[in-house]
Amino acid sequence: MFSDLTSQKDRTLMNPPGSECPIFERVQPSYTSCSERFRLGERSFNRQYAHIYATRLMQMRDILIARAKQTWGAAVPVRRLCDLQMGEQCCIVGTIFKHMELQPSILKEISEEHNLLPQPPRSKYISDSDELILEDELQRIKLEGSIDTAKFVTGSVIAVFGAEKNDGKFTVEGFCTADLPAQTARQPLSSERFVLLASGLGLGGSKADSLLGLQLLVDMVTGQLGDLGEQNGAAQISRVLLAGNLLSHSTQDKDSMHKAKYLTKKTQAGSVEAIRMLDELLVQLVASVPVDVMPGQYDPTNYTLPQQPLHRCMFPLSTAYPTLKLVCNPYQANIDGVRFLGTSGQNVSDIAKYSSMDDHLEILEGTLRLRHLAPTAPDTLGCYPFYQKDPFILEECPHVYFSGNAPTFQSKRITGADGQEVLLVAIPDFSLTQTACLVNLRTLECEPVSFSSFSPEDDEDTEMNISH
Amino acid sequence: MASQAEIRPQFRRQAENISIEYPYIWRAQMAPKRRLITDTFKVVKRVKTEDKVEKELPVLEQEPETPPLTQREKDLSELQQFDLDWRYGPCIGISRLQRWERAELHGLNPPQSVRDLLLKTGEGTDYTHCLWNDYPL
Repeated sequence: MFSDLTSQKDRTLMNPPGSECPIFERVQPSYTSCSERFRLGERSFNRQYAHIYATRLMQMRDILIARAKQTWGAAVPVRRLCDLQMGEQCCIVGTIFKHMELQPSILKEISEEHNLLPQPPRSKYISDSDELILEDELQRIKLEGSIDTAKFVTGSVIAVFGAEKNDGKFTVEGFCTADLPAQTARQPLSSERFVLLASGLGLGGSKADSLLGLQLLVDMVTGQLGDLGEQNGAAQISRVLLAGNLLSHSTQDKDSMHKAKYLTKKTQAGSVEAIRMLDELLVQLVASVPVDVMPGQYDPTNYTLPQQPLHRCMFPLSTAYPTLKLVCNPYQANIDGVRFLGTSGQNVSDIAKYSSMDDHLEILEGTLRLRHLAPTAPDTLGCYPFYQKDPFILEECPHVYFSGNAPTFQSKRITGADGQEVLLVAIPDFSLTQTACLVNLRTLECEPVSFSSFSPEDDEDTEMNISH
Repeated sequence: MASQAEIRPQFRRQAENISIEYPYIWRAQMAPKRRLITDTFKVVKRVKTEDKVEKELPVLEQEPETPPLTQREKDLSELQQFDLDWRYGPCIGISRLQRWERAELHGLNPPQSVRDLLLKTGEGTDYTHCLWNDYPL
């Protein structure tokens, strides 16, 4: 952590207390929020979701046709499904629909009436009988051949190359995705600057020991830990980004829904106390550093993506500071010319459920290659019924692309075909791993910072406890 | 019952025949009485004015009514053609103008005449919303 900056060894904690304390000025980054497209003005839910798929295909078609011509030559015939000739080798652009036997369905839930057991929740809903179907504006066709069914998810727009066979199925010989969009170059920074990413604070949960780690995190960022070198390093943290699930899942106690009113009349929602704790934590942070607070799956805001910012009336202490920024869930901002884009992780964990991929970093890269933040929305992920534009399509390539609430910390640098450089970060769940991560804006490197107060053996123990 | 119904028209015919065969003197006596009644109550004039109004009004109504109906029908059929064009995406749940603007945004070149028509006419769900607007989702 702050490897170069901690080299100041002339004064350490072993010195006698002096009268003069050096003051480390916190770096002030330039910051512009680019999340406007995730803000909802009117909220009209009487539209169908057909619009979002239609606009997604409208927006992606030209990109994919260009990409297909790049891949299979400019002469490749691009057909719509209605113009498809049997046996002709051509390219089709369409939206994937994965037919899944195990996918939970409201119709199956209604079958409870027929005394059938409801389907148990699973960690994965894929099976060997899954089929891929490609849909364009008018028709659909089953896909077979060299395409890995388990890796795809419903809602991804791709281009496939192949031919229709006698049985009415399309034999795929190759496919391509929209791949990375164009990137604006970032200005080289003269000095080290860091952005601290953390997610899954899990306040209000049953695990009290995560609070110690959390307090250590706050003290580290605010410069109350370590010697002068470390404090100087902490001053280089120009921003803190909290990527969702600030509250624990257990604050969403649904007991009151099933109990009689008179029994729950005097009980307080678990989230009230948790939000108060969050406010007390935030006030320590925002007094010292700008903080962006993204809502997550368990936070008290709307459930459907894009999640709107938490309301500031929930933070009576910290809202007085202009450094507190309550932001949308898909988050996009320019920090010192470095474009950040990411979510609290719902999109990634949903894809993990509906595909064979487990690794959050791999899924994150997959969504970047698909050029779509949340392909499974609105199929299995809640989503506002947009009609004019699909805001989850990436129009510009970010420099840092992250998702929150991953089981472990992972990061990776990828380089696109046109020289785009992207840092992928899976931000670990803080309440499980006691780990946050620091992104160096100058070098675009990322390192984990662990605040675990226990040795690795103890960590295993605590992990065991979680499973109970 | 059936036999009575059959007989009755025969009676009527007989009565009509009888009335025609009234003697001349009887007719002369009845005629002046009728003239007096019609003169005093002016039944004939009233009937005439009613006839005139009935004749004039349909002429007035038909002439201005037919052109707006056809213009409206023309407009609506153009708008319905726009609804039916699948290239511009689904139309249920959004207004025609919103659909037009979406198509324009994504470079699909929707016909300008549709937008002009929508902006000109403005009100009434017949114009602003698609063909299937009244059907429940």
